[in-house]
Amino acid sequence: MGILRSIGQAAGHVEGPAKVTGRARYSADILLPGMLWGKTLRSPFPHARIVSIDLSAARELPGVHAVLTAADLPEVRIGRFLRDIPVLARDRVRFIGEKVVTVAAETPEAAEDALRLVEVEYEELPAVFDPLEAMRAEAPRLHEHPETYEHPPIPPIGGDSRFHPFANVCSQNFFRRGDLKLGFTAAERTFEHTFFVPPVHQGYIEPHACAAAIGADGKIDIWLSNKTPFIARNQLALAFGVAEDRVRVNPTAIGGDFGGKGSLMDSALCYFLARASGRPVKMVMTYTEELTAGNPRHAALVTLRTGVTRDGRITAHQAKLVFNCGAYGAFIPLHFVHGGVHAASGPYRVPHMEIEALRVYTNTVPRGHYRAPGAPQTTFAVESHMDMIARELGIDPLEFRLRNVLIDGDESPMGERWQHVRCRETLMAAAEAAAWGSPKPPNVGRGIGIYERATGAFGTSSATLTIDADSKLTLLTGAADTGTGSYTVLGQVVAEELQAPLSDVIVIQGDTDTAEWEDGAGGSRLTHMAGRATLTAAREVSSALIALAARRLGCAPDQVQMRDRRFIASDGRELDWDSLLSWAAEHEALPLTRSGSYVAGHPVEVTCYAAQVAEVEVDPETGQVRLRRIVTAHDVGTVINPLTHQGQIEGGLVQGIGQAMTEHLQVRDGAVTTAHLGDYKLPTAMDIPELSTVLVESKTGPGPFAGKAIGEMSNVPPPAAVANAVFDAVGVRLMDLPVTAEKVYAGLRAKENRQ
Amino acid sequence: MNPFTYTEPVTIDETLATLTRYGEEAKLIAGGTGLINLMKQRLVNPGYLVGLRRLSELAKISFDRGLRIGALCTHRALETSPLVREHAPLLAEACRHVATVRIRTMATIGGAVAHADPNQDLPPALIALDARVKLRSPKGEREVPIDQFFTGYYETVMQPDEMVTELAIAPAPPASGYAFLKFLPQTADDYATVGVAAMVAIDRGRVAGVRVALGAAGSTPIRARVVESALRGQEPTPRRLADAAAMVADIVDPIADFRGSAEYKRDMAVVFVRRALAQAVARAQAGGRGA
Amino acid sequence: MRNIQMQVNGKAVAREVPDQRLLVDFLRYDLGLTGTKEGCSVGVCGACTVLLDGQPVSSCIVLAVMAEGCEITTIEGLAEGDRLHPLQQAFIEYGGFQCGICTPGQIMASKALLDANPHPTREQIREWMMGNLCRCTGYYKIIESIQAAAEGKTGP
Repeated sequence: MGILRSIGQAAGHVEGPAKVTGRARYSADILLPGMLWGKTLRSPFPHARIVSIDLSAARELPGVHAVLTAADLPEVRIGRFLRDIPVLARDRVRFIGEKVVTVAAETPEAAEDALRLVEVEYEELPAVFDPLEAMRAEAPRLHEHPETYEHPPIPPIGGDSRFHPFANVCSQNFFRRGDLKLGFTAAERTFEHTFFVPPVHQGYIEPHACAAAIGADGKIDIWLSNKTPFIARNQLALAFGVAEDRVRVNPTAIGGDFGGKGSLMDSALCYFLARASGRPVKMVMTYTEELTAGNPRHAALVTLRTGVTRDGRITAHQAKLVFNCGAYGAFIPLHFVHGGVHAASGPYRVPHMEIEALRVYTNTVPRGHYRAPGAPQTTFAVESHMDMIARELGIDPLEFRLRNVLIDGDESPMGERWQHVRCRETLMAAAEAAAWGSPKPPNVGRGIGIYERATGAFGTSSATLTIDADSKLTLLTGAADTGTGSYTVLGQVVAEELQAPLSDVIVIQGDTDTAEWEDGAGGSRLTHMAGRATLTAAREVSSALIALAARRLGCAPDQVQMRDRRFIASDGRELDWDSLLSWAAEHEALPLTRSGSYVAGHPVEVTCYAAQVAEVEVDPETGQVRLRRIVTAHDVGTVINPLTHQGQIEGGLVQGIGQAMTEHLQVRDGAVTTAHLGDYKLPTAMDIPELSTVLVESKTGPGPFAGKAIGEMSNVPPPAAVANAVFDAVGVRLMDLPVTAEKVYAGLRAKENRQ
Repeated sequence: MNPFTYTEPVTIDETLATLTRYGEEAKLIAGGTGLINLMKQRLVNPGYLVGLRRLSELAKISFDRGLRIGALCTHRALETSPLVREHAPLLAEACRHVATVRIRTMATIGGAVAHADPNQDLPPALIALDARVKLRSPKGEREVPIDQFFTGYYETVMQPDEMVTELAIAPAPPASGYAFLKFLPQTADDYATVGVAAMVAIDRGRVAGVRVALGAAGSTPIRARVVESALRGQEPTPRRLADAAAMVADIVDPIADFRGSAEYKRDMAVVFVRRALAQAVARAQAGGRGA
Repeated sequence: MRNIQMQVNGKAVAREVPDQRLLVDFLRYDLGLTGTKEGCSVGVCGACTVLLDGQPVSSCIVLAVMAEGCEITTIEGLAEGDRLHPLQQAFIEYGGFQCGICTPGQIMASKALLDANPHPTREQIREWMMGNLCRCTGYYKIIESIQAAAEGKTGP
């Protein structure tokens, strides 16, 4: 390896000029000749039988080209893993906002007018909104024959897994370690607490949008806000009942994902409208549709029971997680809320453990993935619980954690044997930067939250790299850049390996026909997996160039080295980069293309930690919590791009602050009532705290150049850190999110009344 | 949005004639920041929309034995106007707390008054300033004291053929101070959980004049007369201010919403009335008019 | 329907539109200027920010007929050929965007800020920009980008 030139460079996004000039094309920007607008009519009832649908008036409206109900579609259900949601409701609706009728018309106004002319007769059915109630034998059943729902084979992660084990339970998973009974017998104190985390929305500013067009040759072109175009293509082909190569998913810029843009949303429906109307169709959700019928984060009820010795060592830990998955389980790519389960035991040494995780159907909006799915819910619970235990034992919360966190040689509760464990270091770095333990003014408190998550290692990534005679390096990837800077980072990997300036690298996202398979963004895998595939392609190009140089120099390739853009033979003869390229071009060896792929093999051996300290000030008269400062410390590998890396930390952090303090997707009787961004409160530029970031670096990551993942770290600990800080400040413990002024106020009054 | 016909008169008389012609079918639109959202949700469906932006005579701010503010002055214009800052700093400050700069660029003072949303910021500020609303109809002109203007949730004393033309604000008495407090426990861009505007004049150590008003505390903006009378003529000690503020609990009638329960808002009304009074008194004692 | 004319990015345009056409739809679909984005549709998020006679407005809650005769500046009107506006350059160099969906609105809002106040403090930037929601950056780098542009710290 030569001198690091591109790795570590704080390069701005390579697609920047398109994004700052308005040229970048998002799905809603797609304009095709003859394009129609699709809109959907949604259920006003949480649970009802569809008695009849009268479309006659809608069909007669001028400008209307297609009006469809489930009767016009094949009987198919879709889903990222479990395929349980119909494209349009068939006979029955299961949540307010479920799609019942769809229309394609010349203008969005005409489409809306047509929907207002549709008459649907419903017969309301008893509904259930609370997961605990839904699990009772007498509760109304949402799905009559869930055992008929298809899904891929359950992968060998996730303990003991069952789909639809009993009433309204979508999935049930058990994870066990050691002997729980033994662990609790060894405990000198046992603590049990229950926490509740309400749903929150991903809050991307771009509502889902898609477009579909069918070519004369039957080729189906799709544009959609989706972070995993190849997976979307396969799911679409399944929904359409066509071969995968009949469907082409085209790249578009994605206006924020955070895990929420992995489903098909309206795109299957959009195709059926295009097929029925014979015209291209576009569908753009309104933000109200996003909030009321998107795929927000699961609400979770978390009950934790932990046994400890008097000196604060954990002997046993039990977690029961009840996730409300809404009316359908289709919006997550796995059989359980993986991240929530993984975080349920925290980064602690737990000899005896049991986790039970349930996803329960209710007549509410279906839930999907959002940045570190499940983890903020269980981490809020676990880290609050640990704080409560520490205080009950009279041990400083930092000290309590230091006694229990994993160190090298420990096996994690989930059975991993991590190498180079940096948990203590990360925790200490956060504590030091926050001056943990130093004096503080009245009503000011500090709280800790810690989270562990490994770099994603699953699926397959591919990359194709071409060098041309002008020395331009064109990287063709199938990976969408959801905004994280992945094009830039992949470009830096190429530039580094080929010792080229980043400006010589062009990153192109191909469509699903031109690019090779790519599992895409998600699970903190992209820099690792696509980065590795890119590195392989770059190495192949580099080997090919060396072989050419050897030919030119008349020696064997293994006698030539590439260094500082020169090719040096072992006998000392040299060839510079430009001379080689001109010679190669003359000999028709350019452009030269090589591919690389990377397939997940054995699990990664190192993990990543994020530790945060929040400092809050509570107004004792109002309960208002002001977040004065946050320290976020991260266990990181080689930072490929400090600008985008820090961007991930900052953006995630503010999302976590939103979940901690202001965001709450309120659902009443099955209806989402925070139905626009005036009522669903995303943090603004005025709501961010003073921030200190500490990077605890080590060159041990599994990614290219020893990088580690950063995307799903900083958003997880804030709710716990803030809640713990509020307790530290005024002695009020909140067991549910968000931490609102009114709840703190109520806690203060209750405390006063006790005294 | 339902279809409608847009018209844009160039004089006040023409505007009033249009209003008279279409009656309840017509809606006036100034900045439209409130109305367009209601129309998008099809909560308001006018057949005729009468645009006011050509009536430039209503976009003026002047001082003539008091501040005279044309109904079409935007929040942004008021926030940045040297005249307003000098003669009614409370109003400038209240404007600065309204939503975001994009809304303030479009939203007008006449619209804020006619819209009569009890959760907005300008009505309590205007009540504390003892503003008068000038209304015009084809029959003539009348002035209504602002504290008699609001009659219910989104309802006012205005007749269907009337429009707001001006807000008049008398000069503040000497040695007076103001406060405008907007309690925002969620994010910085939100409706108030409770909003309080106060003006206090001090004469020889005693409260010579006081006006206190609340927003987001009931179905209309509320003038806290009971608080005012408890303080008039009194020495403004912290104890007296607190006792007076406590009385507000009986006159507010907040509704529970995403910004808090009714009980919480009632408790917060007491806290913020007390704080506003304290701030206004301190400003009055520091030399008047809040500077 | 009504025929409306306005100056958009310095060019006179005229179109016949229904009275209820919103400015954002007029720009995006009648004129094809899709750089202006629509997010919340209720005037809160700021993605649709454009300048109307130099002032920032939410084009999702302004009727196109109410902009008749006005000057509109959109994100497409900022760069001069290939030469980016200093704010555009700063947003790239300082990481002021990630996914980019809010970026046209952020840049138009910050342009209005710098036009009104060429040397804002950090607090003034936060206060002015609080109406432009961003879900990717957490705002820190947006604030830095605007400061850098104001201080002329951009470009090679």
